[in-house]
Amino acid sequence: MKRRITQLHPFTVLCLAVFTVAVATAASVWWLSCAVIVMCLAIGAVAGKARKLAALSGAIMLPTLLSLLMIHGLASRDSSPVIAAWGPISLTRGGAEVAMMLALRTAVLVVVGLLCGLLIDKHQLVAAIDLSPAPPQAGYLLASTLFLLPQMMEKQHAIGEAQALRKAGTGRGLAGWLQRLRLRAVPLVLSSVQDAHDRSVHLAARGFPARGEHSRLRQVADSQIQRGVRWVALLCSVLVPAAILVPFGGAA
Amino acid sequence: MMDMEHRAPVESTSALHLRLGSFRYADADHDTLRAIELELSPGSLTVISGDSGSGKSTFGGVLAGMLPRQGADSCEGTFILAGQRIDYSPEHSPRIDVAGWARHLGLLPQDAGLYLSRIRQTVAEELVFARENEGMPRKEMTELITEFSTRLSLEHLLERDPSKLSGGQERLVALTALSAANPSIIVLDEPLAGLDSTATATVTAMITRLRAAGTALVVLTRTTEAWEAEAETLLTLADGTLRPATRTARTAASSSKPSGFAAAAASEKPLLAFAGVQLGYKGASAPVISDLDLEVRAGECVGLAGANGTGKTTLLKAAAGLLKPIAGKLRVTAESGMLLQNPSDQLFERTVTREIAFGLPKKGLQRARVPRILEQLGLASCAQTHPYELPASARRLVALATVLVREPRLLLLDEPTEALDPAGLQILNEVIDSVLERGGAVLFSSHDERFIARTAHRVHRMPRQ
Repeated sequence: MKRRITQLHPFTVLCLAVFTVAVATAASVWWLSCAVIVMCLAIGAVAGKARKLAALSGAIMLPTLLSLLMIHGLASRDSSPVIAAWGPISLTRGGAEVAMMLALRTAVLVVVGLLCGLLIDKHQLVAAIDLSPAPPQAGYLLASTLFLLPQMMEKQHAIGEAQALRKAGTGRGLAGWLQRLRLRAVPLVLSSVQDAHDRSVHLAARGFPARGEHSRLRQVADSQIQRGVRWVALLCSVLVPAAILVPFGGAA
Repeated sequence: MMDMEHRAPVESTSALHLRLGSFRYADADHDTLRAIELELSPGSLTVISGDSGSGKSTFGGVLAGMLPRQGADSCEGTFILAGQRIDYSPEHSPRIDVAGWARHLGLLPQDAGLYLSRIRQTVAEELVFARENEGMPRKEMTELITEFSTRLSLEHLLERDPSKLSGGQERLVALTALSAANPSIIVLDEPLAGLDSTATATVTAMITRLRAAGTALVVLTRTTEAWEAEAETLLTLADGTLRPATRTARTAASSSKPSGFAAAAASEKPLLAFAGVQLGYKGASAPVISDLDLEVRAGECVGLAGANGTGKTTLLKAAAGLLKPIAGKLRVTAESGMLLQNPSDQLFERTVTREIAFGLPKKGLQRARVPRILEQLGLASCAQTHPYELPASARRLVALATVLVREPRLLLLDEPTEALDPAGLQILNEVIDSVLERGGAVLFSSHDERFIARTAHRVHRMPRQ
């Protein structure tokens, strides 16, 4: 099962994600949003990514939920019953409901998005785009974006090692972290620019980005069923929300 | 390959004919290259030697069509490549399609890692990166990978992440990737730097095979020694121009046994001691080094030898305190300083002086040493130059200066001879001597067996894991 999930074509995962987010957002009912989140966690568990998914989702959603409660819950001016009050500040039932609904909608987007990020191998995604009829520049842009951060992390690690050898940036705690940030920032940017300049000429010499027909050694498994699923998911992403949101004849 | 108005078909049997009047970098006050004439025939091996800063890498860039940069550098000359004539003049430089040029003439840069794309997950994908961009069918690419990996004994690296290779492995993979692109001329800038003896033999055999298949090769190197038997043409690049190299003039790299060995015998306590140490990286499936026992005493110079990827750099990093052992006991009883394999990783300031003074207390004794270190390493004339603008040998000496300014008792050197010219090598030997004379110790890794034999008191050979 795990293998089946992780070996899905990246476009299939993305299309299903678009469909899920579109329908859950359009429907805007709490039980559907909850069901989507639970389903995502279950898929994450099968794929061995549940802990990471929960931690990342929590890190994003907890501050979001708190800010929504502050905006809609505590500062609500509606006339619904007050659940709790602290002097001039009060938490109303209507405000809490609005905050929870908005949080659930956001949570669907966050959890589904993070699950996609965890399930899709970035090399597979770039290869899938390269092998698709999309212009070669699309794969180039995505590759540049996806691989920039890991490369900069590697570089900052090398700079950190070199500075540690000179006993610089070795402090502990918040002060040490801030000092490291200050010491590494400029060399990181300068060496990244230098590296990009030096490497780009060899990338160009190796024909990258391809201007015409190109191929990939990497194979991205696909099937007729997956292609069908993608089309249906994309079509439903438009039709189902339209059916929910557009008041057809007879609606009051 | 270039602008239509500057393209003219020419009938020629040579793979390349170059007449270069002059080449000057933008904002430079003198020509880097001048009065050069070079003809390459299919299957030939041309070796061009020269000191660091002589313009070898610039010449490689010109041959590869990467220089002159349009609208910046100035160039005057004529190329005849793949039956086409390209004219450069101070008034007009044709726009070069580097990819089209590279199909005929490929360059492996001195820093071979720059040739690798860093956007492919495996070595196998990296090998056929250029072929993917040409649209080669997958079946043919698979055959190509099998052929080259077997020929160069790279099978064990095919599924590895290219960014996690050792320096030598990186060079080997880059060279294979360049060969797999199948250009008719290959220019190799220091192709044997950092390679172990097995890899050196493999590369040499591959070069022979490429020549037999009609590929013309140009090797840019500090020393022609390794190429004398094979090369048809030996040239020296000096004062910006090419001259025939006389055999006696070739490579006079001097190196002598360091002093201070007597002190080693007298010394009781080791400055560095590994006892049953296991070393590895986070997330790796297996340790890089297991059961390591090694001691380095005061007054001793110890060489680390072994094949690429056996953990020489890992060992040195652990000795410098950058890596904690997974198991075993590591004891360092003296202040250590380490020269990294790639000097660029160690340099991040605007001028050489600022670089050497980086991290030193503003009013300390160490900062007062900076002018003396600049003098000692022959860097006084470039004190205000940006380290990245220096030739490779000088850049390595700057990195060494950043270590020496702290006067470490335990000096750790990772491939210190790589990119050093004879003058730089002489300075390195003096530095090693001075560390030993003041009661310190030196531990260095190298693939240069002659340097090891001449410099180290003893050698620790790293076993294959």
